[in-house]
Amino acid sequence: MQLKDNKHIGIGFRKDFSEELLDSTILKPAFIELAPENWIGMGGYWKKQLDKAAEKFPISCHGLSLSIGSPDDLDLDFLYKIKKFIKQYNVQIYSEHLSYAKCDNAHLYDLLPIPFRKDAVEHIIARIKQVQDILEMPLAIENVSYYTPVAAEMDEATFISEIVNGSGCNMLLDVNNVYVNSFNHNYNAKEFISKLPLNKVSYIHMAGHEQISDTVIIDTHGEAVIEKVFELFEYTTALLKPVPVLLERDFNIPELEELQTELTRMETIVSKTWKKEHVIA
Amino acid sequence: MSLLKESTREQQSKLAEYCKTGIVPELTGILEENLHHYRRLVFNIGIDTIETAYPITYRFLPDEVWDKLVYEFYAEHKCQTPQVWRMPLEFYEYCVEKDIQGKLNLPFLNDLLYFEWLELEVHTMDDIPYPSFDTEGDLLNNLLAINPEHKLVKFTYPVHILAATELEGKEGNYFLLMYREKESGKVQCMDVSILYAYILEQIQNGLTLHAVLTDADSLFQINNFEMLKEHAINFINDLKQRQFILGFLNA
Ligand SMILES: [Fe+2]
Repeated sequence: MQLKDNKHIGIGFRKDFSEELLDSTILKPAFIELAPENWIGMGGYWKKQLDKAAEKFPISCHGLSLSIGSPDDLDLDFLYKIKKFIKQYNVQIYSEHLSYAKCDNAHLYDLLPIPFRKDAVEHIIARIKQVQDILEMPLAIENVSYYTPVAAEMDEATFISEIVNGSGCNMLLDVNNVYVNSFNHNYNAKEFISKLPLNKVSYIHMAGHEQISDTVIIDTHGEAVIEKVFELFEYTTALLKPVPVLLERDFNIPELEELQTELTRMETIVSKTWKKEHVIA
Repeated sequence: MSLLKESTREQQSKLAEYCKTGIVPELTGILEENLHHYRRLVFNIGIDTIETAYPITYRFLPDEVWDKLVYEFYAEHKCQTPQVWRMPLEFYEYCVEKDIQGKLNLPFLNDLLYFEWLELEVHTMDDIPYPSFDTEGDLLNNLLAINPEHKLVKFTYPVHILAATELEGKEGNYFLLMYREKESGKVQCMDVSILYAYILEQIQNGLTLHAVLTDADSLFQINNFEMLKEHAINFINDLKQRQFILGFLNA
């Protein structure tokens, strides 16, 4: 992906602030990310906004409903619509969640945790390969936040690594999700990150969350990124080659200045760790 | 053939079913105190989406009736669209299929829900190519070019005119023209009489205004072509000003 101004940090393109962003001289992301589900087949005002955005920024796609971990068959009609959208908007990066959002022929529109099991690993590897064959591009799979494991027979890092290595896909490393999970499931975030297939990380997510009790954080994307997540980000980026980084902000949208402050801070961090001569793949 | 074992599939099914119904399942190796977050998060997305799509119905129905309806929809219905913003259409279809308006004794409910859905539909529907047209022409004898991004629908209750609380007993034939302005993308609504609905439909079917009016004059037993012509031309000019009638189709 050709990033704007040789910068690395993008922002999630949300209808809530699309108009502001398109006219803004304040918020200057290197690229924007959007969920194809929210735009495919949409005309009128929103199509115009999307087309304006596509003229101004490179676009990456982050899907919601592919449901790669579902027991149900892949929805091929939908996948072909995504393929068409990706071509139309010259999208170079398509990522999805390592979770399931559809089961027993019903969409749930949220990310449910997959059992960390060997058979699920094999099942998902086969599906990722199928997706990559159809799309003719690599898929980046994201580590998701989860509030309970279900019927696990291996640990999360092993589960992710086996899928990424077995399928040949890329990884979207969501640093906030690692933090949220390490808090909710009481593990060491840095240790967890060191067990991931870091050479396959092609993209990073950063986001805010909400701590709702002494023991639970909910991954809301509705708050500013906290200090400890920035710290984990700095640690993580030092282990990686340069990749695009995306700030996810879906709710409780602040002034654009505030968002830009977060982007600038991330840019400052990565410009220290990633030397300028690196070319982003 | 799926590589997934039956036991894994079953765990996934149980969690998904719990998110739909809220009935706590037996799951293996879970953090029990955290399970409820999934039901809450999934259900909230569903409720928010439906309430945003149907604000009038949501405010009109008593809370307990609405809550029960949304609960049953989420528990019983299997949402088919991968695009959550299209899901409210399935809610409308569910209400029709389950005859919710009959069960609640609210005979205008289907119309009201459909009206609310249409606003969303017309605002978001895929772009339809505009016909090629001229701005100058003969209103009566040239084919008229109309904005293709529109819906002309018939209601049994005037849900597009009256508040929901005023609809009881207002059964009749009502027609709504809803269209999207090209530049702004804004949705415009217009109540039209059965005669004008007929005229618009026939123009859309490729008849000239003169031909439509000739038919309408006898069909509606008006038997006064000149008067009909005068009214119809006023109507068409009004629609031209509103940019619904674009001009005259190029041959
Ligand atoms: Fe993420």
